[in-house]
Amino acid sequence: MPEIKVTPLGAGQDVGRSCILVSIGGKNIMLDCGMHMGYNDDRRFPDFSYITQNGRLTEFLDCVIISHFHLDHCGALPYMSEMVGYDGPIYMTHPTKAICPILLEDFRKITVDKKGETNFFTAQMIKDCMKKVVPLNLHQTVQVDEELEIKAYYAGHVLGAAMVQIKVGLESVVYTGDYNMTPDRHLGAAWIDKCRPDILISESTYATTIRDSKRCRERDFLKKVHETVERGGKVLIPVFALGRAQELCILLETFWERMNLKAPIYFSTGLTEKANHYYKLFITWTNQKIRKTFVQRNMFEFKHIKAFDRAYADNPGPMVVFATPGMLHAGQSLHIFKKWAGNEKNMVIMPGYCVQGTVGHKILNGQKKLEMEGRSTLDVKLQVEYMSFSAHADAKGIMQLIRMAEPRNMLLVHGEAKKMEFLKDKIEQEFDISCFMPANGETTTVVTNPNVPVDISLNLLKREMALGGPLPDSKRPRTMHGTLIMKDNSLRLVSPEQALKELGLSEHQLRFTCRVQLHDSHSDSDTLGRIYTYLKSALKNYGVQHLPDSTVIVESIVIKVTSSPEEPNLKVILLSWSYQDEELGSFLSTLLKKGLPS
Amino acid sequence: MDSECLSFLPRICVALADPRQSPPDDTSLEKLLDWFKDLPNQRNVNGEGLLQQQPCLLEFISSVCKCKDTDHAILSFTLKLTGLLAATEQGFSLLEEEGLLACAFKRGGWCAPDLWHEPSVRSGWLQGLLHTLNHRKALEFVRENGLIKVLLHLQNDPSLFVSSLANEVLVNILNFMTSSKMSNSSDAVGSAQCPLGPDWVSVSSEIIRAGVEALGSKKHPQVIQGLKLLSLVLSQCGEPIRSMLWKDVLVPLEVLINGGSGLLTLPLMTVLQAAVRTPLLSQSDCKVKELMEAMLGAGNGKDCFQCAALIVTLEKCPEELKRKAINIILLPLRCLSTQLQDIEKELEIVVKKQLSQKSSCISLLLQSLSGITELAHTKYPFEDIPQVTCSVMLLLRICSGHRPSFSLPSIVSTQLIGCCKVQRCGLDTLDALSVYNENLDLRHEVFGVLLEYLQNPDSHATVLKKALQAAVRWVGVCSPFPDLLQFISRDLFPALEKRTCDLRWEVRDSTLEFITQMTAALRGNTGYAEVLHTSSMFSILLSSLADVEGYVRASAVGAVGEAVTSLVQQTELLPEEVLTQMMAILSQDTEGFPRRAVVKAFTSWLKGTHPLPALDQSLSAVLSLGGNDLDWEVKIHTLELADVLMERTLTYCPYATQISSSPDETRLTQALRKLKDLGLLDLLLNSLFDCDRPVCEKACSLLLKLRTLAVDIDRSDVVLDVCGNRWGDEVGSRYLNKPQAERSLCVINGAKESCEKMDSDLLSIREISLPDVVRLLDLDSMQRTLILSRDHVVNSPRSLMEDILLSVQQTEENIVDCY
Repeated sequence: MPEIKVTPLGAGQDVGRSCILVSIGGKNIMLDCGMHMGYNDDRRFPDFSYITQNGRLTEFLDCVIISHFHLDHCGALPYMSEMVGYDGPIYMTHPTKAICPILLEDFRKITVDKKGETNFFTAQMIKDCMKKVVPLNLHQTVQVDEELEIKAYYAGHVLGAAMVQIKVGLESVVYTGDYNMTPDRHLGAAWIDKCRPDILISESTYATTIRDSKRCRERDFLKKVHETVERGGKVLIPVFALGRAQELCILLETFWERMNLKAPIYFSTGLTEKANHYYKLFITWTNQKIRKTFVQRNMFEFKHIKAFDRAYADNPGPMVVFATPGMLHAGQSLHIFKKWAGNEKNMVIMPGYCVQGTVGHKILNGQKKLEMEGRSTLDVKLQVEYMSFSAHADAKGIMQLIRMAEPRNMLLVHGEAKKMEFLKDKIEQEFDISCFMPANGETTTVVTNPNVPVDISLNLLKREMALGGPLPDSKRPRTMHGTLIMKDNSLRLVSPEQALKELGLSEHQLRFTCRVQLHDSHSDSDTLGRIYTYLKSALKNYGVQHLPDSTVIVESIVIKVTSSPEEPNLKVILLSWSYQDEELGSFLSTLLKKGLPS
Repeated sequence: MDSECLSFLPRICVALADPRQSPPDDTSLEKLLDWFKDLPNQRNVNGEGLLQQQPCLLEFISSVCKCKDTDHAILSFTLKLTGLLAATEQGFSLLEEEGLLACAFKRGGWCAPDLWHEPSVRSGWLQGLLHTLNHRKALEFVRENGLIKVLLHLQNDPSLFVSSLANEVLVNILNFMTSSKMSNSSDAVGSAQCPLGPDWVSVSSEIIRAGVEALGSKKHPQVIQGLKLLSLVLSQCGEPIRSMLWKDVLVPLEVLINGGSGLLTLPLMTVLQAAVRTPLLSQSDCKVKELMEAMLGAGNGKDCFQCAALIVTLEKCPEELKRKAINIILLPLRCLSTQLQDIEKELEIVVKKQLSQKSSCISLLLQSLSGITELAHTKYPFEDIPQVTCSVMLLLRICSGHRPSFSLPSIVSTQLIGCCKVQRCGLDTLDALSVYNENLDLRHEVFGVLLEYLQNPDSHATVLKKALQAAVRWVGVCSPFPDLLQFISRDLFPALEKRTCDLRWEVRDSTLEFITQMTAALRGNTGYAEVLHTSSMFSILLSSLADVEGYVRASAVGAVGEAVTSLVQQTELLPEEVLTQMMAILSQDTEGFPRRAVVKAFTSWLKGTHPLPALDQSLSAVLSLGGNDLDWEVKIHTLELADVLMERTLTYCPYATQISSSPDETRLTQALRKLKDLGLLDLLLNSLFDCDRPVCEKACSLLLKLRTLAVDIDRSDVVLDVCGNRWGDEVGSRYLNKPQAERSLCVINGAKESCEKMDSDLLSIREISLPDVVRLLDLDSMQRTLILSRDHVVNSPRSLMEDILLSVQQTEENIVDCY
């Protein structure tokens, strides 16, 4: 039986670096190629040696698909393609292809700066890797090779994020990447058609959470910023240049407009310009509202948000500053933080994940004294807030997607084991399908039972139609009889006569014989006569004949009577019939076993 | 040892062992293990010492193992830690006395046996065990507690990670039994090489028997695991284990090889590849060579190509076998390129059949091409190299739609036309074949094929990149031939010009990178420089500086930079237009790559042997723009430019000094003034206070270099403006923050009065002399701090421990998030 195998090298029961291998119809596909930012050695990358044993990645993999630009989904790509060595195609959407190198470059720059960093990719490697990328359009089927095809669907989450359907013949898998089933300020909700994949591989970050409404979180955020600004404090929001930063900018921009606030908002990095350029360029990937209002005013041309100069950090009075990087571990954001940390009127809002060892991680854990360069300590007096804005589907959203796609099996990745377990039970109960949650390195094998397409000859169809009944309908399966011919890698159902003719075969006759014993005191010929009379009255619609050679014939069924001289009253009735009259033959033998009417 | 860190341990142990507290993230636990692992190397503290000093560790292991609600991550961590602490015999004994080894490693030793179902726990158990396998006691523990059975069971674990770790542990056990650590044992009997006691013989026999059984198993995954163990033993274990195992597996191995299952080809070859690297190869009764030959001749023929492709990569391989493999590797190409009239050999029939099937045609050709590439990488002298090269070229032509003079099965041509996989691989092979001198006579044909690809509008971007890579290599090896220039000017440049206007940025970029590499490869070739500058290519390069894509602009800057270098070697002229455009990029480009490339181009021009007077006018602007860039790498490149400039300006030829009329100090002062006028001194001082550490570090090292020269000059000679400069305030505040004693110390040569004067005036002064500012800045201490200063992510163990303590105490969960 054909089977599909799924092995996570990363994101199996964790929210680390996503990297999932799928073997389907003899093809090997890598879904995402992420990096774990928490490590500064080889552990940050998936262990590709499990694939490369005695071979090269290019030989093993048919393609790599990247779902979106977050580094836990694409961060190991240059390492894999340029350092381990992979020359095959890499697929991602147009916006992902445009934005991915910016983030990779951003991360490379903060990584190579670290002392003792080795085995990390260069800017040239990022570029060479991006040259191998084939861009995808939504809903467009791309033929990777003769057998393997892929199709991207909108996933929300971040600009350019996509779910991907992978199909080989009639077997298929859908990989969601990260997705969001509720639209936010700049992106729409994920959508997929009823493609009924054999396996739906879904993220499950918020597997047990029904998230509080996004509006609440936004209101909370705005309230905190507003209060701080009102009391003359400064607000620092460390962000990565792309993604969440844009959503928060839109949020503040509209709030400032509505409340007519005067405190300045700054964005500290040169990357913003480029980021906003991409949001403008890929306006079709944003949500309906942004697309509609685009003609009158581009949402990403901010009126209140100005470029930051490092001298502004010392300016008196309130202000809001978006600064990179997002984990407060270097550059502008750390520089500003050091200046503002000592004042309790100020606030820092951390909108995303922070790696252990970063200032962001420390202050989120409540550390109040930080050791800085040269043994000096920094007192953290400012308010520290954590606000998660990341756009993942919650438990409700995941169930909604299952209803949309109607998969035959479900496989959960990118989540915590305990939470997955809960969702797995829920899915199995509600949808009556198997749900898997392999750990990293574990292979899930799903046996598929594919439909085999068969051509039916026109004659056979006509004959079927002539018998009456409804017209052929794909939704109402019905049984057809005929001869199946396998020839030239195709299957055809034809009438037996046509099959014989086509294949040049002669027909063999198959006859069934059966003996029925009954007690009858008449002579053999009289018994046969009685049988004839009985059948004539019992089978009114059939031609029953009594032939001179002591046989009775009903259609193709031949009936004879014999007895032995020792026991003349014990009659043996011989019945013989052809394959076509099997039903009638069985019926007659049963009938005669019951005896003749007296 | 860092006593501060040790003082954290008791609290950490309590926190981690408490099942009510949520465990810290995996990375913290892994890093904590790294610290434990590093202790013996860094601070000479072994497991025993640590356990004696920190009894809390014993309590921790005990409480985790005995806790019913322990978290799987904590249990896995504990098992690994226990293994690390038991890595020495003393540590092991201590743990054994406390009954903790049995608690951790004996099956059923923990109070939460269900956690065995967690792959991370099984993996932790294996890693822990692996850490202990350093001494005889550990091995006895494994044997006495029947852990070999568990290990053999885990060999077939559903988790890839667990099963391969189990194999690793088994191999370590086998290996350890024959190591010197075991050989001095009193109960040693057995072979002369490495004696094994009877107990150990039974252990090794158990493992070997399991391996043999696995090879004979009907279950495919078990056979695979058996083969994996075998190849690990062959590559990692010594005698007598290696020979013992080989003797026992030979028969089942022969059965598997002769069975010819295509699914096992790769693992079987891995075993044989490992065997070839051992002395087993030279022992005729071990039949390694025969088995290799059987693999080549085995099965359905299809698999033998895979085997041959692997054999050609072997360094230590019987010559005869390698030749045979090479012949097999070359066969598909030979079949394609010649019409074999007389197909007699069985293999050739197979090849023809494979080539005519769409499922196997491409993979067969790819194997053949990769095999040739591997051979070329070692410059292996196989027969008929030019003929093979011709076959590769023919294949590449067929792929781009060329019809060969003889008929090919239609399936072959329909499969191959436009097939990127074969095109990329074929071009890589053609690239690699440039190492053979025998191929030089084919250069016209090679350039012909490459040109076809470069001209073909249907060529995929990745294919074009490969064609350009191959072209660079061939241009390099053909540079001595005069006809190369004709090819470049007549054929190559027109093709490249079109490619620089390609719609795809990838193609434009690869083309510009190619031109840069070619120009560099032909540096000093006056003919080429002339062709480059007299053709329209140079103006095309200039227009590429305005490309919409940042990557392409950066490559164009690189290409123009290299082209100008080749030009100035002859004319010593730097075109005005080039300078204008370069400066425009540096000041206005929104992306970092082109700006970085511009500064690099200036550095390379400045480094050049020919002086460029035109350059001087722009240097000041380059230093100023580069020093104020948003991208710290542009700043670093600018500081590298400053370094070269300092080198050029401050150091001079000793012979020149003799003929110069002015004294050294005056010349130095003049040079420093020139650097000041160019803005170099402001750049260094501003960069010293940059928010990116690498920039500060580089600036500091340059200022230190400058200090050695500048201390001797007169104060009034080089005076810097404090006003309007970022560094002014920093210098002032740093100076005033110093204690009085240090302030006096920072003044050298007894110039105390001036120092005191500076104290009072520093806040109001507008100017400061270079020697003063360099003295004021405690550069040595700054450099020490910068070198020692933390990385962007703090890696100190103390910080890690603080983070762990804080995160387990965290009551409010920060919802997991992606990055």
